[in-house]
Amino acid sequence: MKKIIGILCLFVMISSCEKDDFCTQNPVTPKLILRFYDDADRTSTKQAESLYVWAANKDSIFVNIATDSLVLPLNGNTNQTIYNFSKAGLIEQLTINYMAENEYVSRSCGFKIHFSDISFAPSNNWITDFTTIETTLENQNAAHVQVFH
Amino acid sequence: MDAISQEQPKDSLGVLNDTIIYKSPYGLRLGIDISKPIKASVDGAYNNGFEIVADYRIKKKLFLAAELGFEDHTTLEDFTNSTASGSYVRLGINYNLYENWLDMNNEIFFGFRYGFSLFDQTLNTYSPNVVNGENNGAPYFPSNTIIANETSNLNAHWTEFMLGFKVETLKNIFVSGSISYKIAISIKEPNNFKTLYAPGFNRIFDSGTGFGFNYTISYLIPFSKK
Repeated sequence: MKKIIGILCLFVMISSCEKDDFCTQNPVTPKLILRFYDDADRTSTKQAESLYVWAANKDSIFVNIATDSLVLPLNGNTNQTIYNFSKAGLIEQLTINYMAENEYVSRSCGFKIHFSDISFAPSNNWITDFTTIETTLENQNAAHVQVFH
Repeated sequence: MDAISQEQPKDSLGVLNDTIIYKSPYGLRLGIDISKPIKASVDGAYNNGFEIVADYRIKKKLFLAAELGFEDHTTLEDFTNSTASGSYVRLGINYNLYENWLDMNNEIFFGFRYGFSLFDQTLNTYSPNVVNGENNGAPYFPSNTIIANETSNLNAHWTEFMLGFKVETLKNIFVSGSISYKIAISIKEPNNFKTLYAPGFNRIFDSGTGFGFNYTISYLIPFSKK
């Protein structure tokens, strides 16, 4: 009888918790990483100062920052996200077009949005050039696009 | 001399008649799982469930056993909502580990089953996971809830180890409970989703295992006594 109670307890312990109860993958949907480079010396990064970033019809995502890389989410509900980058009063409008597909990951993480065929259309106010490194967002390990200014 | 030697076998026959051998009934036991209708009325995620159980005694300690059932269960996860609905059958044996006193017919049994389930799983709704950071912060672009309503015809095969008891409460009426540990052999997965629940198997863990229990009331139709 003691053995049976022991086995019963073990069952309850095993069944209460398993690794698929928690989503450990972070983030599930990767964001777009921009890296700012110097237009004069194209191999070195260059900070963009007093930078404000907001998407069309939305509040700012970044306010008055100085950085050489930005992590930007893309809108998975549509196939286009328009971001405005204001540097020292000059507003650059960047239109990002892509394909968004929902891809199943796991029980706890649910679906991720897989962005592919990413293309950029800048307004070239203070950004001079773009080099796309990745047209598909697989992860957030490295920059997907180089921005020259 | 002759008379004594003839009486000898008569004496030993008398000794045999003195020992009482308790015969136990052999027959078909039929019952239903009463935990499933209760679970359906209490647990909101468990929509419907029904199970018929049967066993047939073939040896002193060995029983052929089967369960036949239907389940409808909604799996609510953080980012998905899906419903599995279908029928299952489990076939196997029970082995009684309990030595009964006198004429009692109780059991503590160990069981082994093969399980098979045919079911539909419908992905009702989902919202793509776009949460920010480890604290699940609000995303800059919140994702819409997508009404998918995608149904897939699925099946599952598994093996199962059980441990349970059976108590004869009234003559030929048994109350029984068991817990089971299930190991999947094969589970058909839907396209761009996963089989999260299979009727008869319950929640399918990442490792392809599952747990179950039942609580039944059954009636023994005795065919013979041995």
